[in-house]
Amino acid sequence: MMSVFGLLGHGFAVAATPTNLFFCLVGAVCGTLIGVLPGLGPVATISLLLPATFALDPTAAIIMLSGIYYGAQYGGSTTAILVNIPGESTSVVTAIDGYKMAQQGRAGEALAIAAIGSFIAGCFGTVVIALLGPPLALMTQRFASPDYFSLMVLGLVSAVVLANGSVFRAISMIFLGLLLGMVGMDINTGEARMTFGFVELSDGIDFVALVMGLFGVAEVISNLEDVSVRIVNHTRVGSIWPSFRVLKGAWGAVMRGTLLGTVFGILPGGGATMASFSAYALEKRIAKDPSRFGKGAIEGVAGPESANNAAAQTSFVPLLTMGIPTSATMALMVGALTLHGIAPGPMIISRQPDLFWGLIASMFLGNVMLVIINLPMIGIWVRLLAVPYRVLYLIICVVCAIGVYSVNNSSFDVYLTIGFTLLGYVLRKLHAEPAPLLMGFVLGPMVEENFRRSLITSHGDPMIFLQRPISFALLLLSVALLISMVMPSISRRREEVFQE
Amino acid sequence: MKPITRFGNIDFLSGLLLAAIAIIALCYIRTLTVGTVLEMGPGYFPLGLALVLLGLGLCLLVKGLFVDAPPVGEFHLRPLFFILLSFAAFGLLIERAGIMVAILAQVAVAHFASRETTVLQSVLTGIGCAVVSAVVFVLILQIPVSILP
Repeated sequence: MMSVFGLLGHGFAVAATPTNLFFCLVGAVCGTLIGVLPGLGPVATISLLLPATFALDPTAAIIMLSGIYYGAQYGGSTTAILVNIPGESTSVVTAIDGYKMAQQGRAGEALAIAAIGSFIAGCFGTVVIALLGPPLALMTQRFASPDYFSLMVLGLVSAVVLANGSVFRAISMIFLGLLLGMVGMDINTGEARMTFGFVELSDGIDFVALVMGLFGVAEVISNLEDVSVRIVNHTRVGSIWPSFRVLKGAWGAVMRGTLLGTVFGILPGGGATMASFSAYALEKRIAKDPSRFGKGAIEGVAGPESANNAAAQTSFVPLLTMGIPTSATMALMVGALTLHGIAPGPMIISRQPDLFWGLIASMFLGNVMLVIINLPMIGIWVRLLAVPYRVLYLIICVVCAIGVYSVNNSSFDVYLTIGFTLLGYVLRKLHAEPAPLLMGFVLGPMVEENFRRSLITSHGDPMIFLQRPISFALLLLSVALLISMVMPSISRRREEVFQE
Repeated sequence: MKPITRFGNIDFLSGLLLAAIAIIALCYIRTLTVGTVLEMGPGYFPLGLALVLLGLGLCLLVKGLFVDAPPVGEFHLRPLFFILLSFAAFGLLIERAGIMVAILAQVAVAHFASRETTVLQSVLTGIGCAVVSAVVFVLILQIPVSILP
């Protein structure tokens, strides 16, 4: 127990260097910015800023990129409360009661509770990472390649849970992603595979080009079609200091949301969006008077906002200890770590203690910064909402183009983005979500490597995946998860959660 | 009307798309060494994936033919066409004419993607983006691109 505090102290020493502090702030501000602005999610932004972090050392880069992710959870609530448009998918439920409160002139109150709840949840989630990380990593270090293979299968199955809509369709998207991940050089023989003669593809499809096309640019095109992004903002914020009575009412919801979010973040297939939806459902169910919900109930803001922040923090646990991303954003983090030459997995904590503990400490500092950025400075963000989308989308396009180009300084990647934008747009029209595709794409090479290595050690006997106890348990869990989703009662419940 | 929804529903068309991608991949994988379980070649794993994808695609395709599914969302060609074209303009110009011309051209093309843009706002946005990007990306981050032709 003592050693955790000692290591955390070391982490603070790493995080508090001027450079790291600065990039933590940059991440928090960028995160808030994109959280506030509808139509640009953290996935697109992180991939956008990824090339800009090449010059930094890995610790500063990861600190900044994660700041964007949890910062977006704060910023998203502002837009949801003030203009009834969720800036982030995690804030969809916050808009229900938050906007009602704003209409009643209690916008300041709602914003304050959202920020305070987010802060408490964020700090709690960070403590959980610090306590759970080292033992989990130790456990994972005993994994051999068959276990890793099964762990990845579990990770991929969890991507199906996250996806909205048909299970079958999500599985197809995963396989499409896996196949795209195969493009490039073969790890064992160095032979070029499926490059269609393009030299530029020999290192594989550029990660940033794929993400930017599927998520960034395709999103812009959908937004241009959709009239609802246009914002009319007439709400006045009012006092940001909540009364004691409101604080008392929100307290329980913050606690419940935090715990729920912490658990959801760690679980495969959990993630911040599911956490906030479930927290809202929970608050509504246990309330003495459920009819208050939808009419400005403070619990309806406090619960989901705490839950999404806690989950945003704890979703780093599977990534940092096992190298398994549980969401599209975490898949991006895998990409970011790999680009900086760090193999995501259980070795991070022992081989890169500065990175692990520095990141955790920076999350505490980042959460403090975010409360300051979001409460006293709320006026700036409100004014930002006045930027019309007809100007914003032009800027987004330019930044996307330069971002993609600057990864390898190659026009080819820009053309690749065009292709993936088209694919992303068509998939959206076909009600197929691109998030499972991204998970497959990121995990693809690792899945293949561990699959091949396992079969070499077992002399070609596929039973090895069932003979090793860890691998068997993980595969069993994956199958159980899949079956549970196909079962009618649970799948109906899942649809309800997504529709609410 | 029935036959139109039959072929225009999302299941049938996504099945078609996935199967087509799988077949293209399979054509290419034919040129790779597949190998055996004991001695897996570069083509072994991709072949498996492509076959599964083909299977999934065909299942969706058949399901779309016999079970009703929602129709495909409406395609809005205007934003799609102009946004994609604006990226092509950027890609073609960045190395030939420098970052400022490439950005101005991109914004000029992207301007037509929405009916709500006004010429004045787009011109100002374009100039602003061009100047800021030239300073940030070329002067500070030093990506090897010229500022002007």
